[in-house]
Amino acid sequence: MNYDFSEKEFTLFVDINEKMGGLAANGQLDRKDPAHNKENIKQALKQLAQTPYLKLGLQPVDGYQGQLSWMGAAETLAAVSPSAYLAVEASTRLFGRAVNEWGDSNQKSKWLTPLLEGNLIGALAISEETLNIENDPLTAQGERQGESVAINGAKQYVINAPIADWIAVAGTCDDAYALFLIEKEASGLTVEPAMETLGYDGTPISGIRLEDCRIPNEQVIFPPADIDMAEAIRMWENQILLGAGLGLSKAAYETARDHAKSHRSGGKPIIAYQEVGFKLADMLTLFQTSQLLAYRTAWTAETSPKEAGELLLCAKVFCAESAEQVCSEALKILGGNGYITGNSVERAYRCAKYVQIAGTSTEIGRVKIGDAALGYRN
Amino acid sequence: MDFAFTKEQLMFKKEIIRFAKKEIVPRVQEYDLNEAFDFESFRKLGDFGILGLHFPETYGGSGADVVTTVMAGEALGEAGVDGGLTLAYGAHSFLCADTILRHATEEQRQRYLPKLISGEWIGCMGLTEPDAGSDVASMKTTAEKKGDKYVLNGSKIFITNGPIADVAVVYAKTDPSQKHAGISAFIVEKGTKGFAAGAPLIKMGVRTSQTSELFFNNCEIPEENLLGKEGEGFNMSLQTVEWDRSALLAPFVGAAKYMLNSCADYARKREQFGRPIGKFQAVKHKLANIRIFAEASQSLAYKIAWCKDQGRPLNHLEAAVAKLFVGDWSIGPANDAMVVFGGYGFCHEYNMERIFRDSRLAPIGGGTSDIQKMIISKII
Repeated sequence: MNYDFSEKEFTLFVDINEKMGGLAANGQLDRKDPAHNKENIKQALKQLAQTPYLKLGLQPVDGYQGQLSWMGAAETLAAVSPSAYLAVEASTRLFGRAVNEWGDSNQKSKWLTPLLEGNLIGALAISEETLNIENDPLTAQGERQGESVAINGAKQYVINAPIADWIAVAGTCDDAYALFLIEKEASGLTVEPAMETLGYDGTPISGIRLEDCRIPNEQVIFPPADIDMAEAIRMWENQILLGAGLGLSKAAYETARDHAKSHRSGGKPIIAYQEVGFKLADMLTLFQTSQLLAYRTAWTAETSPKEAGELLLCAKVFCAESAEQVCSEALKILGGNGYITGNSVERAYRCAKYVQIAGTSTEIGRVKIGDAALGYRN
Repeated sequence: MDFAFTKEQLMFKKEIIRFAKKEIVPRVQEYDLNEAFDFESFRKLGDFGILGLHFPETYGGSGADVVTTVMAGEALGEAGVDGGLTLAYGAHSFLCADTILRHATEEQRQRYLPKLISGEWIGCMGLTEPDAGSDVASMKTTAEKKGDKYVLNGSKIFITNGPIADVAVVYAKTDPSQKHAGISAFIVEKGTKGFAAGAPLIKMGVRTSQTSELFFNNCEIPEENLLGKEGEGFNMSLQTVEWDRSALLAPFVGAAKYMLNSCADYARKREQFGRPIGKFQAVKHKLANIRIFAEASQSLAYKIAWCKDQGRPLNHLEAAVAKLFVGDWSIGPANDAMVVFGGYGFCHEYNMERIFRDSRLAPIGGGTSDIQKMIISKII
């Protein structure tokens, strides 16, 4: 048993903070800015590629504990820039992880290598209108036509779609799960305009449509037959969202704490008032509890992946809901300052709702946790 | 980081659950209803080695680490042992016996610890007073040195095991002009002239534990019953906080797991509208809330325990966070568990109303939630 991160891990967290701090200054990574969003994310990837961050959880890195080290680093990045974090993760630990886990060596060298060097932005499209709690079969479909596959279907809420160099589309082919790797310029691929969203302004999200989009067979990845691809991807999404929730809580709590110590009212810092000090105590309790739960979940995913599913859902629900509560209370502590668009707490508050909705929503998460307790599934 | 328990720890936990389910749990409801202390179960805890888990073998203990000790508390809760008995165990082993282990002379250790560890004697700790709860420094009980004796005068309140204790660790002011620095700790045995316990207080929960006032009226004790030196009492009381924030929280973590298992069993069997109520999403939602609380609180308690095993000084911030979370966030799951059982949940026949009542001590005992918030807001 050991509840500490190593010095090497702490050094990485500091390094990420320093490398990304400049890029994220004045919230420039977190603005909706179609002309610059792609360049911003590319720069972020380039910076992170100078550290082990992009490889964590995908490839062994000496001195680090895979997903556990990544969770600590993810928290740091998500606190510095929620939007850059989400875009980087969608590229690295959705698109990249799919290639890493299920791709062959040629596919890995084609997509994974440039991705981990920060030279490629990826996206993974899975969500469809028909998807529900039971994970109905995917309707995006590829049909073999000689040396190529023709794909038809539509996807919604694809993170990075407007800026991605490559999009992995989850669907079926030959009655099996398949991922279709599609280049941004491919004929038959339509990327819809970036959506107007409540939060994550610097992360372009859009739908895509595929109409007889033809790709060579080499651009199709088939996960092993015993893998439930949709379930696996949902789990990866949930892991990413855990890091997102931690980062939002961290940013909101620390900003509110610092404000409460420096802002004076009635001749004393407002933290001296119990209404404020006790709020911060509740916020820190939620944040620290979220951290421990998320770290234990990441450790379980790293050491006993088959046992991680239920714990991950518990952590996802808790961290996501805690993030919104922490951000909401932080806004109150900041008073009028918090209500002004562009500050880190207001931004985190708007982002927090996404963490509850995306991946396995907190409602579906609770149903699944309840089912597991009742022995109805698993 | 590494969150793994050892195989031995996990096996030990299973053994405790098996033992408690067989030997203790069948008696819990009856004793709770009668608000009676279950001496037989307490002795069985001693026979099984639980009362002296972390104590050296020299005194009859097992020499276990703190994580294993915390695990025992969790296991008792998970088995369905009531909060009254686990509280009595905590006050006995951690607040009384552990203080004697740390600060008494070897002769005193030999005199008290074997009997406390076996369960032959029961211990308690007297700190809180009617006008000195969280504000310990305001205590009015005094210990005046007269020759080779100390004379204690004053009273204590809310003392777990007070009416049944054979020995008490009592805090009193040896220098009333001082605040914290004037507090000292003493060992007082039952039967000492001038020492008496009040009648058990009627409580909302943890009813099998016996709680009372302690009265000191010109109570003379030999000078060697002073623990450590004069003025060291406050720091001794702080050391018990480490146990308050780990081993004493653990039964609440275990109780959440017990609630989850009980609710799941019930929801699978209980049918309404032609199907088990477990098929309704609202019931699943409640089970999920209980599970999430269990998972979240578990890590907090074990982290404090692990730090103590490493010999680190208590991190008061993390300890307060753990206590605050278990205190304030346990009411939702405890309420959910009661509601899953519907009308039965409100009746004593089923355990849920008892667990709900027991859980209400969490934000009050050992430092209220507001005090935890005060600590946290000052440290940050």
